[in-house]
Amino acid sequence: MGADVKFKGLLAVACVTASVLAAPAARADEDLKIGVIAALSGGGTAWGLGLQRGTQIALDEVNAAGGLKIDGKTYKFSLIAYDDQYNAAQAKTAVDRLVQQDGVKFIMGPVGSPGALSSLAVTQPAKVLQFVDGYAPGILKNDFNAAYIFRVDNSNLEFSAPVVSWVKQTMPEVRKIGMIVPNDATGQAAVPTLIGAYKVQGYDVWVDYYERGSKEFTPILLRMMAQNVDLFDLNSAAPGDAGLMVKQVRQIGFKGKVLQAGGAGVDEIMTIAGPHANGFIKYDVVNEAEPQSKPLVDTYAKKYSGPMNGMVPVYYNATQILLEAMRRANSIDTTKVRDEVEKLEGWNTALYGPLRWGGKAAYGNNHQILLPFYMKQVDGKTVSVKATLQPNN
Amino acid sequence: MFSPVMLGQVFVNGVSLSAIYILVALGFTLLFGIMRVVNFAHGSFAMLGGYALYFMYGEWHLPYLLAAPLAAMTVAVVALVFERAVFRLFYQKMFQSMIALLGLDMAITFTALLLWNPYERSVPTPLGGVLQWGGLIVPEDKLVITGVAAVALAAFWIFTRYTRHGLALRAASQDLEMAEAQGVNTTALYRLAFLIAIFMAALAGGFYAQTYSLSPMMGERPLLMAFIVVILGGMGSIPGVALGGLLLGFSESALSTYYGAAVSTFASFGVVFLLLIFRPWGILGTPEHD
Amino acid sequence: MTKHGESVAARRYWGLVVFLALAILPVVSPSQFLVSIATGTLITAMAAASLHLVIRTGHVSLGHAAFMGVGAYAGTLVQTVLHWPFAMAVVAAFMVPALLGLIIGPLVLRLTGKYFVLVTFLFGEIVRLAMANWQSLTGGANGIFQIPAPPGFTSLTTFFYLVLGAATLVVIGIARILGSEIGRAMDSVRQSERLAQCSGVPVLKVKVAVFVLSCGLVGIAGVMQAWFVHFIDPGSFSSVQSLNLLVINVIGGMNSLAGTLLGTVFLSLLPELLRSYVELQHVIFGIILIVVMATLPGGLAEAGIRLRAMIAWRNAR
Repeated sequence: MGADVKFKGLLAVACVTASVLAAPAARADEDLKIGVIAALSGGGTAWGLGLQRGTQIALDEVNAAGGLKIDGKTYKFSLIAYDDQYNAAQAKTAVDRLVQQDGVKFIMGPVGSPGALSSLAVTQPAKVLQFVDGYAPGILKNDFNAAYIFRVDNSNLEFSAPVVSWVKQTMPEVRKIGMIVPNDATGQAAVPTLIGAYKVQGYDVWVDYYERGSKEFTPILLRMMAQNVDLFDLNSAAPGDAGLMVKQVRQIGFKGKVLQAGGAGVDEIMTIAGPHANGFIKYDVVNEAEPQSKPLVDTYAKKYSGPMNGMVPVYYNATQILLEAMRRANSIDTTKVRDEVEKLEGWNTALYGPLRWGGKAAYGNNHQILLPFYMKQVDGKTVSVKATLQPNN
Repeated sequence: MFSPVMLGQVFVNGVSLSAIYILVALGFTLLFGIMRVVNFAHGSFAMLGGYALYFMYGEWHLPYLLAAPLAAMTVAVVALVFERAVFRLFYQKMFQSMIALLGLDMAITFTALLLWNPYERSVPTPLGGVLQWGGLIVPEDKLVITGVAAVALAAFWIFTRYTRHGLALRAASQDLEMAEAQGVNTTALYRLAFLIAIFMAALAGGFYAQTYSLSPMMGERPLLMAFIVVILGGMGSIPGVALGGLLLGFSESALSTYYGAAVSTFASFGVVFLLLIFRPWGILGTPEHD
Repeated sequence: MTKHGESVAARRYWGLVVFLALAILPVVSPSQFLVSIATGTLITAMAAASLHLVIRTGHVSLGHAAFMGVGAYAGTLVQTVLHWPFAMAVVAAFMVPALLGLIIGPLVLRLTGKYFVLVTFLFGEIVRLAMANWQSLTGGANGIFQIPAPPGFTSLTTFFYLVLGAATLVVIGIARILGSEIGRAMDSVRQSERLAQCSGVPVLKVKVAVFVLSCGLVGIAGVMQAWFVHFIDPGSFSSVQSLNLLVINVIGGMNSLAGTLLGTVFLSLLPELLRSYVELQHVIFGIILIVVMATLPGGLAEAGIRLRAMIAWRNAR
């Protein structure tokens, strides 16, 4: 009996060994590595994880469906993620490593201007296709004319004017806007556009800046309220900061509207602001209520903990675009894939409907995605979509 | 801008900011005053206090009046492991303690990041409302913090003035060798001081997390604040903490309200910079001979 | 030969070996990435070695990256705004932070140990805030991008040799200073300022001179980084970077230049080994710091000396 068990065990081990050894021959799948550069430690970690997870979910789906057949070979995808600590020099090292050491040809990220601007100096000469997110115009408007780079999320240039027009239509009583802007790359690059959009529509705008890391906004909020603003726009504040601003501005008795034209993801803000979030209006890039979003929302909830922020749908969508372009190019040559990405205009994406590229007027090329977006409003514990808007081209 | 209500509100905000700063800085200055340890890991203990309160009150729903002190005590008791393994090696070694405790801070913070996720959480509060009084508005949670800070400050003062342990602590902070010669058991004394300091850090962290938000990285800010308060008031001085906290709190409230946040940040850094150059021992501290 | 002479000869020998190994690296390296990592490490080595100079006078700065940043911005702006030749960029990258060091040095260098740490930390933060807020000059928090490498050094290999040359000069220069009369004066100042003063060392003058030189040298490392990354922003020169330079010195051993260089290699390569496991990387860093401070205040260099002593003792038995 004992010997029998032992023998069976041995047999099992042998079988496993054999199957492991035989596996490469039997499958003959090629492994294609997709690089991810994201902040996985420090301040931008929540965004970085969103990027990584959105990409991973899309790659898991194509792998589960048997991979991608390109030019007679079947490719399965794996992901290599490196941390850039939201720092330019670290992003450069990470991208050097992906390109020079790991031989990666396709990179998702980074999120944020410092990493995006330093990494494109490596990827563009090397003809590595890169899908980034960050508000600096220089990401697309540069000496390379963004040859191998696409911005896969709306920037302020695309969504500011439509949001302001919507405010004008739906809140005619609003005259004066107050903004408290983070004094970082995002705030400095993005917010002037938003301010401009308000001013074009005839609004009075009052602005003050704060250092990232501040948690107590009451004194500057008080300063803002003394200006009699009707609408407080949280612009590009990070979710944690935005949540605190919503809470604190209500605590000191602000009765006007609170809105965020920027950022993505309402959950974290609601968690932090609690009941004070009631009535808060927010720009977002995903509508969980729509049937096409449900599979992604469900998969995310099953696989990961923590709220699903805006980077998840954005990079899920971006990865699907990349995969479709590879399929159409029938090649993994980055130039061919790049050309197909450009030609994908009108392709029906799973999350956002027909794909649109734009940006020629602002950046000199059409490598800016145009995602439809949503204005959501918090009502008690639920969130409802008030409007679906189209970005500016 | 200068209406009575506005000025009143600036005052109220100044008080509540000062209270937070004082609460955070008390433990920091105690460790420095007695053990000559610059506790760069202070922020991470505050963060642990925040998580302890999150689990005990937010998740396990213990009564608040039990959960708040119990959470801080748990962190302090668990931290005794660090006292034995790390802090004890660096007592009376100011410079080495800075670097080593910076290391401890990194290790604790990033372990927290591995254990919990990076997302900011909110710790529920039993008092989330707002009191109105004339035109003045006082958030209840900030009123609680002010009360706790006042009580803590008073308790500290009474403890160091009027109890035997407190006397021993003061003796040790003034002249260690003499205190030892007089029969003070420094090992036990240090452990006590450490326990109190970490208890205060964790308690402050709990309130901080409740008023603002909770995440593994949340300790950075309280640490910086404790630092500035303690340098302002004088390292190791308890009245100095009260003075430093009030100065920082009121100046931030007034400067941010009337001149904006950038001016306020520049001013507080600039003043501390100048103070360090011309009177490094702080307003109420005493110069050291080393 | 005296024992001192022996160790100098040994150091020269090892220095030459390392230099030659680096010099043939681009030829023999199987991957470009190794060259690019080596370039980054050499730039960090320059910066860490210049901080080492200050540390040897007994002052530990937690704001050295600010001077690196000032050098990087000065060098870059000379190129991109004034369109002066690249040699002038190097001059500016040295002069501007050195001048800044000359202004604040006499003020802050009178402070003792811990206060100096605090004051330099605050100074670093103030400089970072200034870089982020002075948008018209520095481009604000978005920094300056598309910074061109010097003509003739645009390829990775040629740029590597430029950095290797600069780093070699800086390291040899610092080693020379440490071995000279000034170096001995610095050592005496570190051990006891009062004693040094009494024996006729102009303490403050020595400290300021060393500090100014160190600020200038780290500025050159800054402009090299700007050319290497082609992008600079205030975040690249924050307190995190200052801390990194300090940690390199602490781990390497604060009393030995060789230790600092060893620390640079250690702290530049460890993150590469653990790049996919960042949280763990920081936890390990933290624990290393504690262990080094508790057991080896002399850092890696001391570990080497102890090891050698142990071997010698064994052999003697």
